[in-house]
Amino acid sequence: MSSRGLLLAIALGALLALARWQPALAFDEEHNFAGSAQIDYHVVPSEPGSAVAPSPYTTFQGFTFEAALKVAVDISEHLSANVKACYGCHGFEMDMAYFDLRAADELNLRVGRFSPSFGAFNLRHDPANHMTSDKPLPYDMGRMLRKGDWNNGVLPAPFPTNGAELDGTHWIGNTAQLDYAGYVVMAFKNDTDPDPTDLNFQESHLNDYLTSDPRPAAGSRLALTLKAGDRADITLGASGMFGTYDPNDRLTYAIVGGDFALRVGRTALRMEYLVRRQQMDVTNPDIFKYAIAPVDGDFFAKHGAYAEVEQPVTDALDLLARADGMYRVGNVSNAAVGSGNETAAYSPLSYRSWVARETLAIAYAVERNLRFKGSLELWEFSYPDQAGRETELSFHVGAVGSF
Amino acid sequence: MTARLLLVPSLALVAALVACGGSSSESEVASTPAARADYDVFALRCSKCHSLARPLNSGIDDDGYWRAYVAKMRRQPGSGISAEDSVAILRFLHAYSVEQRKRKGKTVDPP
Repeated sequence: MSSRGLLLAIALGALLALARWQPALAFDEEHNFAGSAQIDYHVVPSEPGSAVAPSPYTTFQGFTFEAALKVAVDISEHLSANVKACYGCHGFEMDMAYFDLRAADELNLRVGRFSPSFGAFNLRHDPANHMTSDKPLPYDMGRMLRKGDWNNGVLPAPFPTNGAELDGTHWIGNTAQLDYAGYVVMAFKNDTDPDPTDLNFQESHLNDYLTSDPRPAAGSRLALTLKAGDRADITLGASGMFGTYDPNDRLTYAIVGGDFALRVGRTALRMEYLVRRQQMDVTNPDIFKYAIAPVDGDFFAKHGAYAEVEQPVTDALDLLARADGMYRVGNVSNAAVGSGNETAAYSPLSYRSWVARETLAIAYAVERNLRFKGSLELWEFSYPDQAGRETELSFHVGAVGSF
Repeated sequence: MTARLLLVPSLALVAALVACGGSSSESEVASTPAARADYDVFALRCSKCHSLARPLNSGIDDDGYWRAYVAKMRRQPGSGISAEDSVAILRFLHAYSVEQRKRKGKTVDPP
């Protein structure tokens, strides 16, 4: 059986199973209203923004603010809806608007707008659910230093998009939990640039209602959680996504990742690795920094990883230490992504470039629902900025509230 | 001198924040060893993905709601909440809800 036939058989089987159950006759509709807001002050003493102006040496300094409101409604025993609206750097945005139709724990159909299942950080992307003001570098969306050089992380989170996902969870006794997900979504694109060389994340977020790239991306995730005693568990996961991002459905991207988490008591060790292989339009060699290689010259690979330890000290005080980084290999476009301007400035990246960061963070809950966050970050780059710096320090001071 | 002037109010502010941090009304509920064990399961499992403030300050004190909600959380990928854990978590949330209802002057159903 071909893979397309197999997918069709799985989808039909799932639809039949979903159609078999009858909704409960009596059900009290339940509503849940939740939200969060974070304000963060980012200080970079070396002021990289003043070294070169304007971009691509873009770095956000000063205050940033993000907020989200979420409504979850259990309409029946098998049907629920979630809507989450966010305000942040891109203005107002719909982070979630989906229905879950659940036949059993093992079989749930999600349709609408959501971040598809990829990696372990996805579930904790809300600033109220992680201890630092910013995200691990592979998932960074705008807070990293020199973000213009890197076009953000490997898979900037969250990554809401439109589509459908089949997912479920199965417990094997009381000791093992197996999770799966498979989805088709619109995902990432770049309809703006005449010669697309990278994903345009802002466009991917905002203009999903209509697209000139009708072919959906597909992806899946598989994870196993094992309980080792009453106070410890281990999770191993693998994720993948594949799609095209240009109007002609010609340029592909593939993202794969693996994650590991160990929790002993309330101490958490988390590790994730992601890589994105990205095809580029090389029909205009003038926009590239290096001559186009005759073989394999039409793509780059961006690797990212992080490892972190989170340690609660008291009920109110948490400490976190994290090491993360990215490594990019491949030719470099000198056209800024999303600008539509091929005469944009020189890119400081070389064929092989990397960034590494070490973070020490503290979070203190002054009240259960209000937490102050502070972090110190040491950055190292494989290339100097125009002031000759390869190392930078930055600080975050912030507060996050949730309800 | 300016630095010292800034340091004193900063330290006072930190001390004030520390003094009001870490509210623990849930510890009043977990006053017996059995109740403490239930609380530990709740704290361990629920803090994996979100802060404990979400459930504790939600204002929800209805057992039926908690049953549906814990079942929903149990289905979250990698939640690590087994059927066995659900029982302990629900026992703690019931006791906590009873305490909350008493504080609000609401009627408390017999166990």
